[in-house]
Amino acid sequence: MIETIFFEEQIAEHPTTERIRKALPRASWIPIERYQELFNKRHQNFKLQKKNPALILAKKHDNFVLPAPSGFGMAAYKNFYFSHMYNCLYDCKYCFLQGMYSSANFVLFVNYDDFFTSISKKIDEYKGKNLTFFSGYDCDSLAFDKLSGFADQALSFFSSVPDTELELRTKSIAINSLLQRRPLSNCVVAFSLSPAEIAKSLDSKAPSIGRRINAIKQLAAAGWKIGLRFDPLIYTSDWQKLYSSLFSEIMEGLDPSMIHSISYGPLRFPKKMYKKTAHLHPEHKLFAFPMEEANGVISYGTKIETQMHDFLKSELNNYISENKIFQCIT
Amino acid sequence: MSEFRNFENHSNGQFYFCWVIALRAEATPLIEAFNMKNVGNKSLFPIYTNEDTGHALVISGIGSVKSAAAATFLKDQLKIKDHSAWINFGIAGFFKGPIGDLYQAIKVVSKESGAAFFPGLRLTKLLPASILFTVSKPENEYKEKVLYDMEASGFCEMAPIFSCNELTYVIKIVSDTANNSSSLITKNLVRELIEKKLPKIQDILAEIKVLVEEEKKRLLIPNEVMEFEKSFKFTETNKYKFRETYRKWKIAFPTKNLELSEFLNFQPKEIILKLENEVLVNAKDWTVL
Repeated sequence: MIETIFFEEQIAEHPTTERIRKALPRASWIPIERYQELFNKRHQNFKLQKKNPALILAKKHDNFVLPAPSGFGMAAYKNFYFSHMYNCLYDCKYCFLQGMYSSANFVLFVNYDDFFTSISKKIDEYKGKNLTFFSGYDCDSLAFDKLSGFADQALSFFSSVPDTELELRTKSIAINSLLQRRPLSNCVVAFSLSPAEIAKSLDSKAPSIGRRINAIKQLAAAGWKIGLRFDPLIYTSDWQKLYSSLFSEIMEGLDPSMIHSISYGPLRFPKKMYKKTAHLHPEHKLFAFPMEEANGVISYGTKIETQMHDFLKSELNNYISENKIFQCIT
Repeated sequence: MSEFRNFENHSNGQFYFCWVIALRAEATPLIEAFNMKNVGNKSLFPIYTNEDTGHALVISGIGSVKSAAAATFLKDQLKIKDHSAWINFGIAGFFKGPIGDLYQAIKVVSKESGAAFFPGLRLTKLLPASILFTVSKPENEYKEKVLYDMEASGFCEMAPIFSCNELTYVIKIVSDTANNSSSLITKNLVRELIEKKLPKIQDILAEIKVLVEEEKKRLLIPNEVMEFEKSFKFTETNKYKFRETYRKWKIAFPTKNLELSEFLNFQPKEIILKLENEVLVNAKDWTVL
């Protein structure tokens, strides 16, 4: 539950602000000039702040759409991402956001239309090319949707550009806004997944894997294209067994033709982010494995990554054709 | 320097709560409630402590610069650890009554410089939140719907550097409003207002203590690490590597202890290497669960 809302005075009367004001009448509403004065302050403690994060409502002014980082996209000619929000309701131990931001507060950019205008410009710029726009890189696409109402507006926009793909990446089971409308053929609802035992240990505050799989099956049955994202892959004893049963649980009763794509990627951090994140969770086993460093990236190392890659590729081939399987590597 | 000699006995104190308070009248009810003793009345700023209950308090005098200076003085004199909570407590003007209500200031604005601060993790269940303006002259008009004080912005400029923003708190008790002029404030009134809120203050401290304990655990450097660092000449780089490797080693072998006697003829690099190898061997049966 959000109890404190900081809002930029310039968007005090924006319809999204009004909507949230109605939804959270008891919260403390505090005006600010620009979100950076709060979000980028030094000496913030991400871990403590995560216990009771505030919501910051702001207006984004530039960089609405950016090229997707390498290894993030699928088979499109060009991949872009956009972030209508910074930070996430969930508290996953491996999340790179805690290494990237000094604040755990949620920033919601309320000027959704400006994102859609920028996306339209990109579509015009790459006319005739196959483009994919990813939401959910700096946040979870759906977790905040009951409050933000973003997905509904994004889907309405993308219904007008049917040749351009949208990926909503999530761990959320807040799928009502999707189930209440006709599925969009150019929208992929992509779920991040790990074996249940691993998720229970690492994905704090996120819905259980069982509930995520249930949401996947409901969406697929309603005609929505599904993405399965096994990123990051977590190494632990019995990992083959754990991932194998996860795949079988997901695929049981799921029409494979509803799967748009599957991607996987090993656990990896830029060195600086790893240090910062490990410092936040010094007691956690995730940060006690003897990781390797290569080219400024901390990972399990080539040997383990190759084992995991070979295993996943061969296992996933049992369920789906190879051209729908992608490996994410930085 | 003789007036500071008392502090030496407190340099290893584990203070959970560091109070920075402008006036003696505001400090006295807390000094009494937490049984603090004077440890440096002749020093630059009077300091009171109780190591058993984990309280340290400094009386800053009026004004934001003095508040920042007193906080820094307390930190330096008592060698306050990074995990301690810092609390600026005192009376404040407010646009509305009743007097005696307690607030957490979650946005503090210096009216002089315009700088804004956002101290503390929100204590939602215990306290209402408010904006606070720090002014350089007493406020008598209460035009805006905010609290008014004369110290908090200076305190907020410094205290987060000593621990972190989430352990920096500004808590104010309403003492004057448009209908209750500040000219009516007396020492007795201040005492009365604060004493009435002591049970609530205890609840607030209990909640803050949970956060302090968590930070203390996170930042703790185990004794055996300290012993090794005293016994071997680690370079700064190796010290960092040793601490990191030890952290991983301890998670892998939680029941094992690092014995100095096993490393008598080792060089710092060899100690790190030995621990790294043990972690690596253990990684074959690694479980993250």
